[in-house]
Amino acid sequence: MKQQAPQQQMKTGALKVAPVMLCLLFLLAPSSRPAHAEDDVLHSEVVEPYIEMRTQPGRGYPVFYIAERGESVQLLKQRTDWVKVRNRLGIEGWVHVNEVGRTVDEFGEELAFKAPDLESFTHRKWEMGFMLGDYDSTDALTGYLGWHFTRNLSAELAFTENFGEFSDGRMVTASIVHQMFPDARYSPFLSIGGGVRQTNPRSTLVETEDRTDNTASVGAGIRIHLTKRLMLRLQYKHYVVMTDRDDDEEVDEWKIGISAFF
Amino acid sequence: MENWHKRILLGAAIATAGVFVTGVSVAQDSDAQQVISPDIERREISRPAIDTEDFELGGYVGLLSIQDFDSEVVYGVRGAWHITEDFFFEASYGSSEGDLTSYEELSGGAPLFDDADRDYSFYNLGVGWNALPGEIYILDKYALKSDLYLFAGAGSTDFLDDSWFTVTVGAGYRLLLNDWISWRLDVRDHIFDRDVFGADETTNNIEVSTGITFFF
Repeated sequence: MKQQAPQQQMKTGALKVAPVMLCLLFLLAPSSRPAHAEDDVLHSEVVEPYIEMRTQPGRGYPVFYIAERGESVQLLKQRTDWVKVRNRLGIEGWVHVNEVGRTVDEFGEELAFKAPDLESFTHRKWEMGFMLGDYDSTDALTGYLGWHFTRNLSAELAFTENFGEFSDGRMVTASIVHQMFPDARYSPFLSIGGGVRQTNPRSTLVETEDRTDNTASVGAGIRIHLTKRLMLRLQYKHYVVMTDRDDDEEVDEWKIGISAFF
Repeated sequence: MENWHKRILLGAAIATAGVFVTGVSVAQDSDAQQVISPDIERREISRPAIDTEDFELGGYVGLLSIQDFDSEVVYGVRGAWHITEDFFFEASYGSSEGDLTSYEELSGGAPLFDDADRDYSFYNLGVGWNALPGEIYILDKYALKSDLYLFAGAGSTDFLDDSWFTVTVGAGYRLLLNDWISWRLDVRDHIFDRDVFGADETTNNIEVSTGITFFF
């Protein structure tokens, strides 16, 4: 038993930094997109009668300038659904992506800009989000990141923390998720996974040791495209926690959450 | 009479066959002509790579009022993903330290908790809504974007040697100094049920903070 202690400690340590790592993952994952060099600015020509330039990226901000047909604009950067453009006079403003999508490049082709919609949802590559719910009749919280490597299959990494009356726990789970109807707005899925769970008895109870166990899980759920990048996620998972005791723990988990894709 | 009849029928048969054969040969001819098709190269239309700045990352410092304990300095980091112009996902991590409880200070007796247990740290994940987007004007020259937003989230608080499920609600103000640097003010209430003093009690831990964040 004593020989296992360092390994146990390592697992415990790993679980302690897991939320921080997940937060970092949340923040760093999409930063790998290439930033464009300054001298490689993209030009675009207005072919609609005009496009509206706003003072700030938002639909409520005033239109202060109109770029007319035939005018060429530089595309500088994008924030949410707004693209910052500069015209030849040096006037800068924010244009909605759908309007930018109706301008043309030097070959006369429309630019592939548009606000994310149901079609982008069905072709998403990454998704992340968080869920709240019930793990074995305790409050539970999950953050997750998913990568779609085919249209039907995705790999997911989730961190779950639950808070019970007698113990709380942290859990890292890796899963393979299969969605049967990738084109549907209401897209059901099945999942199978494995992971590690650390259980910490409450400090107000008599002294008991933290324990770390492996888990296996199966689940089912549905993702629903709400609007733009946002989706709602409902899921059920059944966990088997492989304890050192005679019986394994079997746990039901229900979750509801909000996610976004990119 | 019979011959005349036969001749007409034969003629009709030959004419039909002739039309059929010509039809087929014409169809074959047009197939042959289509082999020479206009030589147009299909170009793949891809989304031009321009810099997207939907992520916000930064640090903050503030005051955290821990219920039954003192108000203490809190430090934290905060990152957000702006999903639409209205909504963003945000993750925060902060840490502080609880001082003596009011009871410990007044009674002057032995402390109730180890110093190590007084470390207060928390994280939360949630959704922010830019409820009141705006623009403020400085002198004649500058117009800066601002957002007044509401936030709701959930997370965990590590305090007094236990973890507590924590709901966080709040409001904040973000002022963009330029396209990518923002100054923020936040007021948040971290609510959790605690039973360290025996009975379960709901505690409100108010955090007031200010920070700088960067969009990338």
